[in-house]
Amino acid sequence: MVAPLPERLTPELVFREYAPRIYNLARRMLGNDADAEDVTQDVLLQVVRKLDTFRGESQIATWLHRVTVNAALAHRAKRATRQKHETADAVDEMSSLDGLGGPVKRWNVSPDEPILAAEQAELIEDAINRLPEPFRDVYVLADVEGLPNNEIAEMLELSVPAVKSRLHRARLRMRDALAPHFEGVSP
Amino acid sequence: MTCQELLELLHDYVGDELVIEQRQTVEFHMTGCKDCTIRVESYRHTVRLARALPRCDKLPAAVEERLRRALKAELGE
Repeated sequence: MVAPLPERLTPELVFREYAPRIYNLARRMLGNDADAEDVTQDVLLQVVRKLDTFRGESQIATWLHRVTVNAALAHRAKRATRQKHETADAVDEMSSLDGLGGPVKRWNVSPDEPILAAEQAELIEDAINRLPEPFRDVYVLADVEGLPNNEIAEMLELSVPAVKSRLHRARLRMRDALAPHFEGVSP
Repeated sequence: MTCQELLELLHDYVGDELVIEQRQTVEFHMTGCKDCTIRVESYRHTVRLARALPRCDKLPAAVEERLRRALKAELGE
């Protein structure tokens, strides 16, 4: 995905290789571009200040996930009060999802690595954006970023069973949202 | 096993985290339940589609410009 970095990390290299990844993760977690930009700036400045302490790509990549998640959660906390009721209602609704509703039809998705058309990627991004925040965080980190459940649990200060439960509910909701677009159509 | 019980095991089934007896129970249920076979399949597709999203899009030009400016200011350039 990203070419191996040379030994010496420079601010330009960090910007080029990591700024889009930080921005995308923050945008998916926060659901809007302006907040994602604030978080990206915050994280980039933190990285540049600590650049001398990193020993290589894997170390900085892990650290960046963690710092971006923390910065996004802190950013969200600032606007939390006005959304509190909204989120609580959405969480209740998600918890009652049984996953059995609606007609059951086969999807037409390639058995190999699916290649998404731009409008399909947009559909998926919209569905992610409609997930209630506690479920969206877990979903983005697990299914989009590909992080293991134990790392997500640590980052979000949740138990592993809680991560699994939220991920499962989020997947059921995503499946319901995507079904009308992928049932019986070619990707 | 009921359809609802199978559904509650989907995360672990798809993630290959079930013990063999549970896995066999799920698979036995699916042999007689076409709806659950399709549910499992669409759940797997949901996971695969999310993983197919681009992870490293380019930054929008205006965002890149503002971020570069902030970075330069931090570095005193």
